[in-house]
Amino acid sequence: MIANTSHKSKYDMEALHHPYPYQEELPTQQTMDAMWRLFLAIGEFWEIDADIEAMSSNLVVFMSNRIQVNPTYVAEYANAEEVIDELISELGEAEAYKKLFTDPSANISPPTTKLARARQLVSNEFVALQLALGGFKTFGGAKNYLGYISGANIEGDTPYRTYTKEPK
Amino acid sequence: MNVEIVIVGSGVAAAAVADRILKSKPTTSILVLEAGGKVKMKDFSIYQNYVATGGLPYNEYYDEAPPTRGCKGENRFTGNTEMSLQGSRLMMYGGSTVHWDGYSFRFKPEDFHLYTNTGHGIDWPFSYDHIEPYYGEAEGFLGVSGDSNDPSVPRSTGYPFIPFPYSLEDTLAIEAFDSLGLEYSHLPIARHGITDTTSPTAPCQTTGTCLYCPFGARYNAANTLDDMQTLESYPNLSVRTNAVVEKVIMDSKSRAKGVLYLDKNTGEYVTVEAQTVVIASGTVESPKLLLRSVSSFWENGIGNDHDLVGRNIITHPWITFETTLDRNPLHLQPEMAFPTLVSRHYDSEEEQANGKYVLINPPSTPVINLAQAMQDGKTRKEIDEMVSGKTTIQFNAMFEIFSHHDYQVTNLNRISHLGMIESLLNFNVNPTITNQMKAVEATATEVFKAMGATGPVTTDASWGAHHATCTTRMSDSPELGVVDANLKIHGVDNVYVCSNASFSTLSAVNPTLTLVALSLRLGDRLIGGQ
Repeated sequence: MIANTSHKSKYDMEALHHPYPYQEELPTQQTMDAMWRLFLAIGEFWEIDADIEAMSSNLVVFMSNRIQVNPTYVAEYANAEEVIDELISELGEAEAYKKLFTDPSANISPPTTKLARARQLVSNEFVALQLALGGFKTFGGAKNYLGYISGANIEGDTPYRTYTKEPK
Repeated sequence: MNVEIVIVGSGVAAAAVADRILKSKPTTSILVLEAGGKVKMKDFSIYQNYVATGGLPYNEYYDEAPPTRGCKGENRFTGNTEMSLQGSRLMMYGGSTVHWDGYSFRFKPEDFHLYTNTGHGIDWPFSYDHIEPYYGEAEGFLGVSGDSNDPSVPRSTGYPFIPFPYSLEDTLAIEAFDSLGLEYSHLPIARHGITDTTSPTAPCQTTGTCLYCPFGARYNAANTLDDMQTLESYPNLSVRTNAVVEKVIMDSKSRAKGVLYLDKNTGEYVTVEAQTVVIASGTVESPKLLLRSVSSFWENGIGNDHDLVGRNIITHPWITFETTLDRNPLHLQPEMAFPTLVSRHYDSEEEQANGKYVLINPPSTPVINLAQAMQDGKTRKEIDEMVSGKTTIQFNAMFEIFSHHDYQVTNLNRISHLGMIESLLNFNVNPTITNQMKAVEATATEVFKAMGATGPVTTDASWGAHHATCTTRMSDSPELGVVDANLKIHGVDNVYVCSNASFSTLSAVNPTLTLVALSLRLGDRLIGGQ
C-alpha cells in the first residue's frame, strides 16, 4: 500500500485553468442582449447561411465558459458593449459594426485600445464560434469544420465530404 | 516508501504497462512519478477556449526555445542541425500523447532486420512475427481506426474500428497517385470508433480539434490514467505529479534499490524503494537518467560500460512541401485536423536501404482558414474568391534516418523551467540524409505536377525530436545496445527502459504503436514476475 504522505492545504490546490469555483454570474442582461446583437450582426455582415437564431443558447454557454476560464471576460463583454454603443452613436449601426469587424488597427496584437479589445477578445471569438456552430457551410459547402461536432464515423454516413472514385 | 513497481514517466508506455499489470493483478503496488503537472481533460470550457483562440492549456509543459542573445532559453544543440525539443514532447501527466496526432502505423517485417538487409544500424533482437500479436493488442489499447484489408503489412487480427474514408480533400492526391502508379492506403489513426461493447471512451465526433479532444476520443494516456484511478479498483496505484526523478539507486551492480525524486510541491527529496524500476521517460530523459545515476557499481552511468547510453539518437524530419493550384473548383478546404491518406515508399526489403519514406496528404490542404479571413476583416466576396480560386496545397513527409554513434543526448548542467536537468543534443544532417531528402522532394514534385500545380515547390524541413529513438537501443549483446530483448538493461536484473529510446531502429513511420506493443509485452513479463 502506498502511504499518502502529502497533505494539501487549499492554497496548494491546482489552479491552472479554473482558478476559482464555478462562477454563476453572467454579465448583466443588458450586456447579454448587446452581445447577442453583435452575434447577429456577424451573421448579417458576412451573410452567413445558417439558423443563427437557434444559436442563442450556444452563445450563452460559450460566454459562461469564457468567464469560467478567465473571469475578466465579464469586463471584456461590458467593454465590448460600451465600444459598440459609442460606435453606433457616432456612425450608425451598420457602419459601427463594419468598423468593428474590418478596421485593421483594431486587429493589431496585442490590443492596446478598447476597440481592439472588443474586436480581438469578443468579436473575433464570436466569429470563430459562429463558424464552428455551422456557419462554415456558407463558404463552399463543406460538411465539417474545425470545432463543429459533426458526429461519429458511421459507415455510409461519414461526417465529412468524402472522395468517391469515378467509374472508369 | 516501498512499492513493487515504480514507473518513471506517465506517458503512454507507463499507462500501457500499468494497465496490463493491474488488469491481471489489481492489488499490485505501482507508483508512477511524473516530473510535470496535470491539465484537466475533456473539459468543455477549455475546449471552447481552444476553438475560440487556438490556445492550448498545456503549452507550459513544452521545452522552451534554445538560448539566444538576451534570452535564457533551454537546452543546447551541437552539430550542423538542431534536433529541436521545443514543441516535440510534453513533460506532463499523460506525456506526449496529450498532443500527438494519433498516427498508428505498424513497422514492417524487414524493419526488424535493418542491419542484415542493408548494413545500416542493428537488427532488432526479435522478428515481426514475435511482436505481431502485441501489435493487434496495441491497436485495441489505443482504439485505432484502420483498414483491416490493407495488404501492405501482415496482420492476424483486424483493427478495432473501421477506417476513416478518404476525404474529398484527398481527391487530387488520389488521382495523382493513380496516374503515377503509386500506392496509397488509409492512414491508421488512434481515434475511437463506434463500438457495441461497454467502453469509457466516447467515439470520435470529428470535431477536428484533436489537440484538445472534448470527448477523449483521440487516444490520450492522461485519460487512461484517470480511468484507472477513478473507474477501476486498483487500491495501490498512485500517480504523483511534479516529481522529478534525480537518479536510480543501485544496491549492487545487478540490482536497483529504487529511485530518488524531488517533490517540487514540498522541495523535499524522497526515496522510493521498489522491486522493479521501469524507466518510461522517453528517448531524451530515459538515457539522461541512466547517465546521471552514477555509482561505484556503474561509474559511467547505469548500463553505460560500452558508451552507448544516449548515443545513436535519431528522429524523423517532418517535411512540408507546398505549391499552388490556379483554381479550387471543388471548394476543397480543411474539414478535419487529421489526415486520411498515406503513401509508403521504399517499403520493402529490396528498397529499404534507400531510406523508407511516407507521404501524407495533410488535413491543412488546401490552406484556407475561414475564421482568420473573417477576423482579418475580409469581405464575403473576398472569402468566396479565396475558397474557389488560386490556392496553396501541401504534402507532408517523413523519412527513415540511420543511427550514428555521434548522434547523442546527454545531461546539461542547467535546470529547466520545469525543474528538470536540461539536455545537450548533437546531430548532423550528413550527405546521405541530404540525398534522401532530394529523393522525397522529387516524388512530391512529381505528384504536385500530376495534381495540376502551377507554382514553384517549396520545402520546409523540421528536425523536431517528436519521434526520437534509439538512445538505449535494444540488442542481443551489451556491446551493441543498452537493453535486451525484454527491455531490461544488460547486466541489471530489475531495471527496464520502456520507451522509444529502446527501439533498435526507426522505420519511416510514427513509433507510438510499436511502443505500446512493447509496453504490453513488458507488462506480461512483469506479471510473470520476471
